[in-house]
Amino acid sequence: MLNPRLLHSVLFLCCLAPESFAQGQDLFLDEPLPEVLTATRLKQAPAAVPGSVSVIDRTLIEASGARDIPELMRLVPGMMVGYTNGNQSTVNYHGGRVSEARRLQVLIDGRSVYRPGLATVDWTDLPLAIEDIERIEVFRGPNTVSYGANALMGVISITTRQPADATGTRIKYTRGERGINVWYGSQGFSSENADFLLSLSGQSDNGFDHTDLGTKYRDSRRSTRMLLSASHSLEPNQNLDWQLALKEGSNQRGVYSNEIALIQGAVPVIDNSRDVEARDFAGSLRWTLDIDPSHSIQVQSSLQQWQRRQEWSACDLALSFTPEVSALFNLRPDALDTVANILERFNDPTLIPLQVARGRYYSAAEAPLALAINDYYFAPGGTYRAPVCGSLNNNIDETRFDLEIQDTLSLGENLRLLSGASYRKDRTVSETYFGGALENEIWRLFGHLEWYLSEQWVLQGGAMLEDDQLSGFSLTPRIALNYLITPRHGLRFVYSEAVRSPDMFENDVRWTYRLENLSPQIGGSNSAYYYASANGPGDLDQEIMRSREIGYNGHFDFGLSIDIKLFNDEVHQMISEPLKIDDFAPSNDNYMWIRGAETEIDWQILDSDRLRITYAYIRDFKSSEKSHGRLTARNSGSAGWMRNWGNNWSSSLFYHGADLLNERRFERIDLRVAKRFRIGEAELELAAMLQQRLDDEALTWRENLYDDRRVVYASAQLEF
Amino acid sequence: MRRLILLLCSLLICLPLQAAEVIFSAASDSDSLRAFMQALARQRPQDRFEFRTPTQLQQNAPASDARLVVLDLETLDWRLRQHAMPATLVIRISRFEGTQLLAGRPHPGVTLLWSDPPPHRQVQLARLLLPNSKRLGLLYDQESAFLLDDYRQAADALGLELQTRKWNPQGSRRPLLALLASSDLLLGIDAPRLYNADTIKSLLLTSYARNRALLGPTAGFVRAGSLASTFSDQQDWLDELNDWLDRPASQWPPSAYPSHFKVVSNRQVARALGLAIDDDDALTRQLAAGETR
Repeated sequence: MLNPRLLHSVLFLCCLAPESFAQGQDLFLDEPLPEVLTATRLKQAPAAVPGSVSVIDRTLIEASGARDIPELMRLVPGMMVGYTNGNQSTVNYHGGRVSEARRLQVLIDGRSVYRPGLATVDWTDLPLAIEDIERIEVFRGPNTVSYGANALMGVISITTRQPADATGTRIKYTRGERGINVWYGSQGFSSENADFLLSLSGQSDNGFDHTDLGTKYRDSRRSTRMLLSASHSLEPNQNLDWQLALKEGSNQRGVYSNEIALIQGAVPVIDNSRDVEARDFAGSLRWTLDIDPSHSIQVQSSLQQWQRRQEWSACDLALSFTPEVSALFNLRPDALDTVANILERFNDPTLIPLQVARGRYYSAAEAPLALAINDYYFAPGGTYRAPVCGSLNNNIDETRFDLEIQDTLSLGENLRLLSGASYRKDRTVSETYFGGALENEIWRLFGHLEWYLSEQWVLQGGAMLEDDQLSGFSLTPRIALNYLITPRHGLRFVYSEAVRSPDMFENDVRWTYRLENLSPQIGGSNSAYYYASANGPGDLDQEIMRSREIGYNGHFDFGLSIDIKLFNDEVHQMISEPLKIDDFAPSNDNYMWIRGAETEIDWQILDSDRLRITYAYIRDFKSSEKSHGRLTARNSGSAGWMRNWGNNWSSSLFYHGADLLNERRFERIDLRVAKRFRIGEAELELAAMLQQRLDDEALTWRENLYDDRRVVYASAQLEF
Repeated sequence: MRRLILLLCSLLICLPLQAAEVIFSAASDSDSLRAFMQALARQRPQDRFEFRTPTQLQQNAPASDARLVVLDLETLDWRLRQHAMPATLVIRISRFEGTQLLAGRPHPGVTLLWSDPPPHRQVQLARLLLPNSKRLGLLYDQESAFLLDDYRQAADALGLELQTRKWNPQGSRRPLLALLASSDLLLGIDAPRLYNADTIKSLLLTSYARNRALLGPTAGFVRAGSLASTFSDQQDWLDELNDWLDRPASQWPPSAYPSHFKVVSNRQVARALGLAIDDDDALTRQLAAGETR
């Protein structure tokens, strides 16, 4: 597209003199080069974005000293980070259940990484080293229009380093307390029209140290990863990028009590390790074509597989394997619970018959079963009180195939249209969770329009149409109006709707445990089904979210950027019950309403100092269930000061705080000091990191405890 | 009668003090060259214009009070080897080309009028467009290193810091990335090996990804995605030659930049970077005002 001003001067000159001036034009002006920063490539200025975006760039990632992405999320206002154990963390935006975080879309280079079967994001098992991340953009707010259902509360979009920017070698080693041991190596190389990057890394640490009962906490983790990414420049207007990522590792899980035993404590725990072997594979391909400066197309395809192997041995009384026990469980799990409690606490065979006689505790159908179980328990010879042991597993394989085409069209100087379609196929195979295989297909159509009504008013709107084979049809719109006070200061008014489809686990689970290698055998067979089972309702509706936002984004000339957001979000038809095998009753009967404000301030003071402050204030939180509010702090935020002292010394000091994260106060100070050395052509960086907790609470759950409130680790990185 | 004398006198005053012979010379003729020459001839009716190739000049040496205008490198090379040629103006030559060709040799009687934007003007434009940028980043290579002094002087004069990095486009991108991290704006210089149709895509995408604008190196890059550049078009060169031809040849310096110029900018890129910049005419006027002062 010829620059209008140039065209203007050419036309003007043509008017001046009738002679062939146009020919004379090329005497002095070079042939203009083809457009590179085309209308389709240019991103919006921050003030014109229809939402709140937090950007965590490479410098911030390094300054924070974080070893995991969830820890980096503490730098995003409104993100609540919780730990289930040392190798399982949850990241929620604003709130939701502590143990399951399934309302955030997480993408690595455009590839969605939440698990299809269980819809969680296994942060520890991502086939990605933090050293490979170039930047993370967090879209705070629903964005199903651009990213599909599951982007209900926000989107975390991770971009890895471009191969072209990573030529050369880099090695890094980190070592510290709590068993922190991280190694990383990468090699970038380029050929005629292609750039490649290969990185290998490994990570391990000991997780938490002890539980609140004083026992040692078994939650270490170990992983090894490989990433190979390439970028080919096929033609000046065509590019092909592809990636191969693998992760192999194991996460320790302890068994502290035989929690699924019918009668607690009746049989001692024989195997206290329920470690998970986790493997992730991913391959993706992206082809971009610039048809002309105002039209470009992108096609992206990816194939991913998640493999989890978790096998352990458990023992229970032979009683648990009687048909009456499973029948009573299927009738009403609480009835079985009552029976088990009585048997455990009082060694009295007359109590249950008494209860039955009273007629209040068991229904007509349940009573005979309760009596039968009682008889079994007190049967002479104690055959039913003998322990039976077997092996069981939570093995699951999930596969996802995704194909997406995206078209960006610039219709004139003030109108830009982004549209696309995608197909996704998810397949989950698990005997324990689904009794076999379960598949789902999702078709999606989306469009987004950006219209500059004038230099100051931008109207943006879009919608997503999705057809989920298992959950049905949905249409979610979004509309936003931005007022650009100046090109660098803008106000935004956004209304968006979003949906979340129930995942396979919530809606279609067929959860059973089959114990193998039984000893002693039961009924001549060396395998038997455990009494507890759960079935998904199959008819869950999608969750609906309506979000209203007013925001301001400004960039001042002296290096200060401010973003403020006021929000009012409601989630309806929310599926939020706990999902345990003996308490599995998800429904759409819940809701959540959150209202508050959050801000992000980033100030680059000259070239030496950078201040970064985030703060989120949740003013109102109403929910149908108290547990939803557990991971929502009323006040949370972070403050960071990064300084370049000169002479290649740099430091960063961060404070993270939240008044309540799962009802526990959290405050921590992170300090990092680094020095760079130039050794010939190579660069060496030595850094030391200290994290000091200021509170003395457990982390998220009462059993998550460290021996020491402080942890120190150091790293050395060589680049040449 | 008195009026007639007055009229005659005024006519005499209007007549130029001397009518000169202006010879355009280039290796080959072309329509656009002829059109340019004719346009200048219209502006200077008192002079005689003609076109001669070097061979023709060899055979038919011009008078010593003629003026020669050389339009390409080949002809300049030939002219430098002559001893009895009239005062010469050379146009359509960049500093890079000139320095490569001259290799330090003196060139009496030849005045080089550079075609690439002057460092001081580009730096001034940078200051105008991004008044809060204090650090300018500059990539150079072995052959263009000689330009650094001019840029440094220009930056110092405006109180700006100049960060420079030697860079080989075929090699590692680390110097480029380091420069983008330590400066606020990338200033393009006339280094054909660094800034050309092959390298510009990667340069623009990398600097844009880090929110850094590229200024220059020439107007031809603005369409690709460079934020802006100063340049001199045909009309500017006509005015320029007109000025030089009015001046006596004894006052001609060895080289100079044109004083007539315009500014061209890429508004889409400006908008995407969140910059509010004036229109090109206003920018041209502001820069020109700064120079006459």
